[in-house]
Amino acid sequence: MTDHSPGLRDALRAAAGWLALLDSGGASEADLTRLEQWRASNALHEGAWQKALLLRQRFSALPGALAMATLDRPDAGRRALLKQALGVAALLPAAWLASRELPLDAWTADMRTAAGERRQLMLSDGTLVQLNTDSAVDIDAGRRRLTLLRGEVAVKVPGNLTLTLQVPYGQVVLGAGEVCARLLDQACRVSVLNGAARLQPLHGPALLLQAGQQASLQAAGVGPVTGLDEWRLGWREGVLRLDDRPLGELLHELRRYRPGVLRWAPELERLRVTGTFRLDDTDRVLALLAASLPLQVQTRTRYWVSLAARENRV
Amino acid sequence: MIDAAPPSQPSLPALYREHRGWLETWLRRRMGNAWDAADLSQDTFLRILASAQPLADIREPRAYLLTVGKRLLSNFYQRRSLEQAYLEALAQLPEQHVPSPEQRWVLLETLQALDELLDGLKAPVRKAFLWSQLEGLGYAEISQRLGVCERSVKRYMAQAYEHCLLADLQ
Repeated sequence: MTDHSPGLRDALRAAAGWLALLDSGGASEADLTRLEQWRASNALHEGAWQKALLLRQRFSALPGALAMATLDRPDAGRRALLKQALGVAALLPAAWLASRELPLDAWTADMRTAAGERRQLMLSDGTLVQLNTDSAVDIDAGRRRLTLLRGEVAVKVPGNLTLTLQVPYGQVVLGAGEVCARLLDQACRVSVLNGAARLQPLHGPALLLQAGQQASLQAAGVGPVTGLDEWRLGWREGVLRLDDRPLGELLHELRRYRPGVLRWAPELERLRVTGTFRLDDTDRVLALLAASLPLQVQTRTRYWVSLAARENRV
Repeated sequence: MIDAAPPSQPSLPALYREHRGWLETWLRRRMGNAWDAADLSQDTFLRILASAQPLADIREPRAYLLTVGKRLLSNFYQRRSLEQAYLEALAQLPEQHVPSPEQRWVLLETLQALDELLDGLKAPVRKAFLWSQLEGLGYAEISQRLGVCERSVKRYMAQAYEHCLLADLQ
């Protein structure tokens, strides 16, 4: 599948042999003359020789000790990691997850996150609470009640327990299952990932929402039931996956994760975007967008970033 | 992205839509976290996008994705172990020898490229080559350290040079 001539391959092999001979310090005058002749006899030979010299230069330019420590690291570690990665079928969740899932016996603590921060907490009965960026929730053990004060929370309830999630517009009661709730202007969007949940608005009839459905809980009732907006739920795993969505949607989401100001030219909103974006480094996401879409990032300070259309592609 | 191809004819968007979730789950189970898995699955599709093989030739898309994904996973762990060794080595350096942040970055990239270049060499061959190139050791000293004759060292060196020079010929 390669169009390189066998001649080049042979020439490179010969060049490797010459280098090994020169490095040995045992090359004679006659050897050097033969090398000169070999190089001069064919353009391929000379090309191969230049390539060989470049290769040696790449190594000789390195700071020796640092390069040695890095390139000659113990092999065992690599192999073991590799084996672990490729061989073992089910690995435990990574340590970073474990470190954030501290059992909490005092159910009375409040949980808060700053912009760009996400937290999760495993309660002592096995309920998992995940708090998205810029959010706050009160946890009341005695009454098995969470109160969402700000932002967005996901709750996973195990076994045959129930839990009440209180929001300003009513409450959500769920049994075993997983629910995500996000406060919007004048409403709370409730998405049921597993199990089912009963949405009880402050005024009006309750509604049972099944897995795969979402609806908007308002004080005066429950808005229309639709399918899940899957990509908006990716934050629980720290990523947003978009498949051909308007850029505006992504930017509105990203804005929540950044402590400062993020602005953009309105015409950018119509651009389409596909990809998986990590929420732990939104600067990088912006750089990725600038690399793949006709837009440029203007950073005045870390906390003041604007996106503008790129006029001329260079 | 416009995907006008009928489902029978594989296209990258279709491949991406149908199998990305599956591949990411596979990777996540092995890597233990969703971010790295997402990155790597993205890299896998990019690699396929960039490869010369026509998509229509892929009969078992999942087997193909796994082959590419496994290779990237193996590279990923190799890189991670290299980064760790590099950081540890940096921490050992006396302050006046610590390179600037820019130099550190460029150096890391260079080392990663060389590490990939040397990948596949047998341990004694790799050691002989590194001792010669980075520490300037002569064949006599290398042969003592490795407990082999000088002739073998010369053969190792030729092997290592050849491996590196032929690497980008495929």
